[in-house]
Amino acid sequence: MDGICLELADKVPAEGSRLDEADEHDLIRRAQHGDRAAFEVLVRVYDRDVLRLAIKVVGSPDEAQDLYQEAFLKVYRSIAHFRFDSRFSTWLYRVVMNVCLDHLRRQKSRSEVQAPESEEGQPEFFQTLADEKPGLDPERSAQGKEIRQRIGTALSQLTPRERMVFELKHYQGMKLRAIGELCGTTEETAKNCLFRATQKLRLALVDLA
Amino acid sequence: MECKAFEQNLALYLYEELGAEERSAFEGHAESCQNCRALLEQSRSVQRLLHRRRTIEPTPELLVQCREGLYRLLDHEQFGWRGLIRNWLPAIVGFPASRAVATAVLLALGFGLGWMLRPHAGKPLPLGKTDTAQAIPAGDLSNVHIDDITQVTPDSQTGAIRITLNAERKMTLEGSLDDPRIRDLLVNAVKGYDNAGIRRDTLDALRAGSQHPSVREALIYAMQHDPNTGMRLEALKSVEGMEWGSDLAQALVDSADHEANPGVRLTAIDALVKHAVQAKDRALAPELRRLAGNDSNPYVRLTCAKAVHDLVGDGY
Repeated sequence: MDGICLELADKVPAEGSRLDEADEHDLIRRAQHGDRAAFEVLVRVYDRDVLRLAIKVVGSPDEAQDLYQEAFLKVYRSIAHFRFDSRFSTWLYRVVMNVCLDHLRRQKSRSEVQAPESEEGQPEFFQTLADEKPGLDPERSAQGKEIRQRIGTALSQLTPRERMVFELKHYQGMKLRAIGELCGTTEETAKNCLFRATQKLRLALVDLA
Repeated sequence: MECKAFEQNLALYLYEELGAEERSAFEGHAESCQNCRALLEQSRSVQRLLHRRRTIEPTPELLVQCREGLYRLLDHEQFGWRGLIRNWLPAIVGFPASRAVATAVLLALGFGLGWMLRPHAGKPLPLGKTDTAQAIPAGDLSNVHIDDITQVTPDSQTGAIRITLNAERKMTLEGSLDDPRIRDLLVNAVKGYDNAGIRRDTLDALRAGSQHPSVREALIYAMQHDPNTGMRLEALKSVEGMEWGSDLAQALVDSADHEANPGVRLTAIDALVKHAVQAKDRALAPELRRLAGNDSNPYVRLTCAKAVHDLVGDGY
């Protein structure tokens, strides 16, 4: 087996854990010089979070898989341009955000803002909502289904950027400054997006609350 | 604070993005203005409603699928024309006094790409036709000096294989794995050819022929020794479908001990454990017991310990 891989073996972190900064910088430099094994170690450190975020944004594991691959391929192609003037994770997530934003814009332009239909005919996104224990109370189950549909429709009415900022703030709990940085925009723009998103959602869902 | 400013700060308040002073002014206004207090309560209710969305965790299976798909893309990236340009162009351009050389290389690349992208280029030829290539006559290949292999096209339905290669001139070889000429050529290619793309196509062509000892040995060799991680993983998937034997068992144990890529290594261990448990193969118990006791990975220790327990019962 090639020596480079063996040399990297002690840098492979346990599943879900993070790398030391020095180890990470070493891996990045190796990846910048075309070391594929080093790049794969970096992928394994961050890919679970990237996939989780992609699922959250697009709601469908299949689509999230495409976004995951597109994002990491872009990172592979451009890692040589990473200059260590920000954290690698920030740079990586910015790439992921751009890929997700492009995806949402493509969806919007294809007039597919409604969540994709699953096999059962129910929009796939809605299946991500908490169960309502349907077997116990049919009336409550029907009500839960309506709520899920209304929330899905309301979220799909946001612009891609509003949707992204809202997802990162509401579900990931990120600070607006970090969101602005990730989305390649200012904190002020992120604030405005959050304001518009929450206003639209309130107007759409106020009768359910 | 006025009502308009209150509404503008509403989301920032709910998501704890206001500074202490603004927060205090916001709460002060809420206490004094009934309409704004009602708006705040309404917004809180909507926020709670939206929190009823469940967080989806990526399943391990999905993560593995994502990684495998990515590694395939990276293989194409690394060994395709992009990789060629990325790896060689900087070296050429960076060479002293080489501007003219670099220009010439770029021109050559331009012509080369034009040639590759001409109509019909790169399309696999239908089996049985030779196009401009000359079919190799029947007989052995011992007198033919092969410069390189340019295409391996297996047909999974018929088992037919077409190989295009450059020897004294461009040639094609057509047949199946039952043809020893084809078999020997592919076995040598998968074990030592320097183009990973051709090795991958060759592996696909060899998958169905593991009943031939030389093919079996070549697949096991690729699983253990191919320099490309993706290839080792693909070869591992191929050998998993083969008839069990001591050679395969030893190869999987060696991969468990020496494989550098954690993903390939775990797949090899899973294959070993799966066979041991399904076939109740007690001969593997000592190796599994060793892994259960010594391996640095807790998943491996746990999986192997469970397998040993299944094999030899409470005596473990």
